[in-house]
Amino acid sequence: MERTVLTVQRTASRATLAFLSIGLLAIGCGLSGSNPASSPGPSPATSASPASITPRSSGVPSASAALTPSPQPSAGPAGPPSLAEPPAASLGVEGGDAVAGQLGSFTWQNGGSDSPWLDGSPIHVGPGERLTLTLPAEVGVANWTAGRVAPGNRDGSGAVGMGEGSSGPVAFDAPPRGAWSVNVNVWFSDNRGSAAYYWLVSVD
Amino acid sequence: MSASIRFSLPGRRLSVRWLASALAAIVGLLAAAGGVTAHGPDPLVGSGRWNQDQALAFRWRTGYVPTSAIQVAIRNAAAEATATRASQAASFAYNTAGANLIGYGTGATCGVNGLACFTRTPTSSFTMWLREQGHVYDWGTLKWCQAYSTPPSGCYDAENIALDEFGHVEILDHHVNFSSESDYGDAVVQTKSRTNPIAGWNRHAFGRCDVATLQVQYDVRTWTAKYSTCLSLATTLGLTSNPSHVASGGTVTVTATLKVANDSSYVRLALNPLSGRVVTLQRSPHGKNAWATVGTMTAGSTAGTYSRAIQLTAATDFRAVFATPTDEGLRAATSATVVVAVP
Repeated sequence: MERTVLTVQRTASRATLAFLSIGLLAIGCGLSGSNPASSPGPSPATSASPASITPRSSGVPSASAALTPSPQPSAGPAGPPSLAEPPAASLGVEGGDAVAGQLGSFTWQNGGSDSPWLDGSPIHVGPGERLTLTLPAEVGVANWTAGRVAPGNRDGSGAVGMGEGSSGPVAFDAPPRGAWSVNVNVWFSDNRGSAAYYWLVSVD
Repeated sequence: MSASIRFSLPGRRLSVRWLASALAAIVGLLAAAGGVTAHGPDPLVGSGRWNQDQALAFRWRTGYVPTSAIQVAIRNAAAEATATRASQAASFAYNTAGANLIGYGTGATCGVNGLACFTRTPTSSFTMWLREQGHVYDWGTLKWCQAYSTPPSGCYDAENIALDEFGHVEILDHHVNFSSESDYGDAVVQTKSRTNPIAGWNRHAFGRCDVATLQVQYDVRTWTAKYSTCLSLATTLGLTSNPSHVASGGTVTVTATLKVANDSSYVRLALNPLSGRVVTLQRSPHGKNAWATVGTMTAGSTAGTYSRAIQLTAATDFRAVFATPTDEGLRAATSATVVVAVP
């Protein structure tokens, strides 16, 4: 019982500081991301400064490692080379080890692949903790959404929204207690493509 | 950098009032910056476009020919992409001599989790792959609905999936849904395709937000064509009178010109003339600002023009009005006032 109380106190403090950090970071970056919704018509994806992405915390793969694409199956003797993939993304909480997400649907470099909603890479977090996505600094975020379903849901139908934004940083609160398949969709700036990342989030 | 923005207040706790003020300031700044995801036309995959109405013929990749049922689904999807693009985007059709290859089976280069994938190299070529029926992934076994006489629950409609891929080939990236995905029906080009029997699993036409981007990038087909309701384009309305003054009892012809506004984000739609719309003429005794509707103006001889002849006995102010239509993505416009003097 005593341990639980301590965990909650520490979590609340970390969450508060993380939130304030994100807010001040946004202020520091001049809130330069434009809002496509305010534009009268279709507009290209907005360009987000790499600095607007939440800085990498300890335990997160380096940028060079993050840009390494996932292993691909053989294309077969008569097939073309495997598709280029977008950079890896990691999800973590302040002070915790970030976990690379499972890549689902994506577009990247004039190619792309479509996948179902995946269960995702396992990660354990505490209730109320702030989850922050980390991408290599070389890519900016034009739009993002986050949602959750029960594990095993392949359509994403009935998904519960957890957050969205038109620039980085990508951060949102942990879901309620239980196990959830959490999806973060990222549209990269400068029309570089998009990616769906997944985590199997256990909230203890 | 992360270390530099961490708070370090040893031995002190932040007061509730201070925190509330800080949070209010942050929320206010975020609101001012418009930090909300857009719900609008699909984003773009890269920047390359096909030529307007470029005909893209495809054939089956040697050694990876789809089953007959999947062939039908892909051909249908090509026809649907062509028929529902509502723009001058590229068209698709099967041809045994087609330069673009579509494959099916174990050679698919779709990554470890992919159902289907594509590459595009405008204005040269594209490729497409669909995984084979029964492919085993970590997440389950692929079931194409076309492989069954009665599509089972959880199967993917190959026609819908192929239409999604054709949309990518055109230039469309995945639609930015609300995080709840409540607007899923606005696009076929989706990050997650749905399975039977979830709503949208067998949709066989581009959605309005797919079409919106195709129109912006490739232009509409005619000046009377409707603009996608996923757009919200500003319009301009000019007005002239011929002659500019007339003797009492004389007749003038008032002509309005309706166009899409000149906005760089409209790309190919900027300054398009708008024909076949309803433009209303209003009049007022000169200088009185007491507007009354004269009636609907009739289509002129030039695209986007509307005219009406009217007999005058006194100086009159005219203006034209285009009301926001309910069936397309155009916004209202009112012309400047034109004064016709009657000496």
